[in-house]
Amino acid sequence: MDMNFFLSTIIGTLCFAVLAPIVGCLLSGADRIISARMQGRVGPKLLQPYWDVRKLLGKDKIAVSGSEDTYINLALFFSLLAGGIFFSGGNFLLVVFVITLSSLFFIVAAYSTRSPYAEVGAARETLQVMSYEPMILLMTVAFYQVVGTFDVGGVMLMNHPVICTAWAAFLGLLFVLTIKLRKSPFDISSSHHAHQEIVKGTTTEMSGPTLAKVEIMHWVENVLFMGWVGVFFVYANPISIAVALIAVVLIYFFEIWIDNNFARVKWQAMLKWAWIAALIAGGLNVAFLAFM
Amino acid sequence: MGLIGFLILFPLLSALLLFFIKSDTARDAIVVVSVATIVVATLALCIGNLSTPPVYFEFDSQVVEIVCTILSVVIGVIILWFAWKYKNVLAGVLGAIQLVAALIFDFAVAPGVHVEQGLYIDSLSVMMAFIIGVIGSGICLYALGYMKDHVAHHSEEEDRRPLFFALMFLFLSAMFVIVFSNNMIWMFTGWEVTTLCSFLLIGYTRTEEAIANSFRQIIMNIAGGLGFLLALYYCAINMHTLSFVEFIQMGISAPAVISLPVCALAFAGITKAAQMPFHSWLLGAMVAPTPTSALLHSSTMVKAGVFLLVKLAPLFAISTAPAVMVVLIGGITFTLASFMAISQSNAKRVLAYSTVANLGLIVACAGVGTPEAVWAAMFLILFHAAAKSLLFLCVGTAEHHIGSRDIEDMDLLFERMPQLARNMMVGIMVMFIAPFGMLISKWATLVSFVDNHQVALIILLAFGSAATFMFWAKWLGKLSGIAGHPANVEKTVYKSEWAAIYTMTALALVFCVALPVISSGVVMPYISGVYGYTMMALDSDILALMSILSIAVIFVLLAGSTGGSKKRKVDAYLAGVSVNNADRTYRNALSQEATATVRNMYLADTFGEETITPVAVVSTTIIIIGAFAAALATVAALL
Repeated sequence: MDMNFFLSTIIGTLCFAVLAPIVGCLLSGADRIISARMQGRVGPKLLQPYWDVRKLLGKDKIAVSGSEDTYINLALFFSLLAGGIFFSGGNFLLVVFVITLSSLFFIVAAYSTRSPYAEVGAARETLQVMSYEPMILLMTVAFYQVVGTFDVGGVMLMNHPVICTAWAAFLGLLFVLTIKLRKSPFDISSSHHAHQEIVKGTTTEMSGPTLAKVEIMHWVENVLFMGWVGVFFVYANPISIAVALIAVVLIYFFEIWIDNNFARVKWQAMLKWAWIAALIAGGLNVAFLAFM
Repeated sequence: MGLIGFLILFPLLSALLLFFIKSDTARDAIVVVSVATIVVATLALCIGNLSTPPVYFEFDSQVVEIVCTILSVVIGVIILWFAWKYKNVLAGVLGAIQLVAALIFDFAVAPGVHVEQGLYIDSLSVMMAFIIGVIGSGICLYALGYMKDHVAHHSEEEDRRPLFFALMFLFLSAMFVIVFSNNMIWMFTGWEVTTLCSFLLIGYTRTEEAIANSFRQIIMNIAGGLGFLLALYYCAINMHTLSFVEFIQMGISAPAVISLPVCALAFAGITKAAQMPFHSWLLGAMVAPTPTSALLHSSTMVKAGVFLLVKLAPLFAISTAPAVMVVLIGGITFTLASFMAISQSNAKRVLAYSTVANLGLIVACAGVGTPEAVWAAMFLILFHAAAKSLLFLCVGTAEHHIGSRDIEDMDLLFERMPQLARNMMVGIMVMFIAPFGMLISKWATLVSFVDNHQVALIILLAFGSAATFMFWAKWLGKLSGIAGHPANVEKTVYKSEWAAIYTMTALALVFCVALPVISSGVVMPYISGVYGYTMMALDSDILALMSILSIAVIFVLLAGSTGGSKKRKVDAYLAGVSVNNADRTYRNALSQEATATVRNMYLADTFGEETITPVAVVSTTIIIIGAFAAALATVAALL
């Protein structure tokens, strides 16, 4: 057994646990300002998400079921671990499985409250996972075929970025990224506004510190997913890291634009289009890389 | 070799005793003692042969040959008798064909071929012995309490428990014969005994539905048995051997020669492992009492099918026609069965589709046939056995105490049956999520598919896995709900049931934690014995990390999700003033009392059986016909 592997995973996770919430919080603040400008509003200050979460952390500890907090703790822990493995150059598939485990605990947390609105949200969240999972798996397979290893760190030895031969898989990733980032038209399990048919969906019964942890988890996830976007551009050349950062900023802006310009769809449409995207973009890319 | 003989003969003795003894107390004693003996003997065998290379025993007995012939006749007669009694023409015709073909083979063909090494042991048979001897006999123990409840719930039925328990132990004996026989005739006899046992167990209640489903099973499995017989004829006449290991060695040196017999054996494996288009027999088997389902799904019957296919894996790696058939049928079965599982709310049907799907994955791995794929296949077999038996036992106990096997009725099980719900949740998580065993095995499967450029399988796996997440997660969610404090209804569960359930949970978790050890102690020795070298789809670092994470998750879940937190409890939001929040009733906008209820999504329009079954049956039938045509063409070219 290689102790370096464990050490790098632990150190990576600790660093990620400190840095990702900061970056994610700023990303969320920028998101709100840009969204507001797109809608002709001024919007909040950049640090507004931070103050929101701080306020939540100071609130009374109340609960409906009593076990949702345990599940949320697990969900947050595994999202941090996934990020730690990814940014320390670990196994991409492992990252995908660990973040799926995090999603599962988030879903079970919503179910455990046995609130009608949270349950509908949880059921829809499950559908969301089912919708994006094939594309995510095919993307990691394409990554492996290009790089020759599932290790994210492998891109540093490449003499061209992954996107050159896996651009179709990248487009597929962009499609399902909208679901993963919980953006409209695919934000069917929860919404930013509590006056809709499912109230707040998954998080209806979560409040105070528990809800704060959910917010932090979403920030962290967003940073991780942006890492997935960036890794398509990185290779042995150090300048590529700057290119990757620019690409990430542009893609995030693009996602905000989609969020503000499309109405929410029904689950049938989400499932259908996400799977078609996976089959065409993911399937063809994997087949091409296997046989060409 | 003594232990092997003991493991085959001792359950037979127990079966015989149980068949003739009618008293409850005596039955309890015999079952408990037999189970304990079988478990001890199995553990002794496993520990004594840990990381064993393949060992073949010089064993050849005229008596065994005669017993095999007698058994063929007995099986044939029983099938014909039932076919006549229930007027099932097809079963009668197939049974008659099989009887005649088997007798001609035994008297005219087989005597010319001599197998010196009748028995063998290798690491795969050690692993299978553990599954049969520990998990299989654990289910027999569970059946004691379950069948008492069953008899109490079905007072109108005749009490056929002596037959039931005799069949359960006979099943174990036949399975041991299959996994330790190198003589293909003996293996075939064990194969047919399992077919007959499951026929009788499925028809146990003798209701119209049970009889119809048992005939469906016997017809499909006799067809598979005829495939096995065809392979036996071919081996004896064209290859002059009935030794399984010689058959495989000859096949590796001359792939064209074995194309047809491998197709025929694979066909037998596919029917027994309930792969599409033959999956319906396993779904029909659900009418039997739950211990039967647990036994069929986890440690016997279907596992005999995948065992045979995994044994044939080195031949699939070099023989195209059977490999394409097995790979495609396995892959399609995995994906489509996972889709159909989404549309089911009957817990036993969800489990059945999940079994069919996971067996499909094992079949596909066997078809790929590389060391990596066989590694994945063996772990899939092991984890599936433990987790699936656990889930069946849990569903069986839940059914007797909440009066339903519908997942929607398992609402609030977390408090109504707190221990049971936690065991069930462990079983579900082991089935589908990292860091637990089935997911690690699936991961290895994916890597082996990618390394072998199996694009179709990669895509089928990606979509099938997504569906797997859906149907397990919504079930898990249903169990986790907490509201009010409903009465605890699990206080009357028999001790033998708890013993079996906790054993299965412990096994499933120990397998997860001990994954790296099992890999180096059992799976790798088998692979190096077969291929001469080893290869693993996953790093040992990853296995170790998963092992650690399994411990962490289980610990936190058991310690943390008890619902006893110190937080102030508040009502759930109901869009109105609560009347009784524990029941989720509230006063709505018209000042009337309403109850908020939620059902899970079953997406029947998209993933319903009516939509998917025709696609499954047609596509897989075409594949089988195509593969046999190709194999026959290969034979014709040789002539």
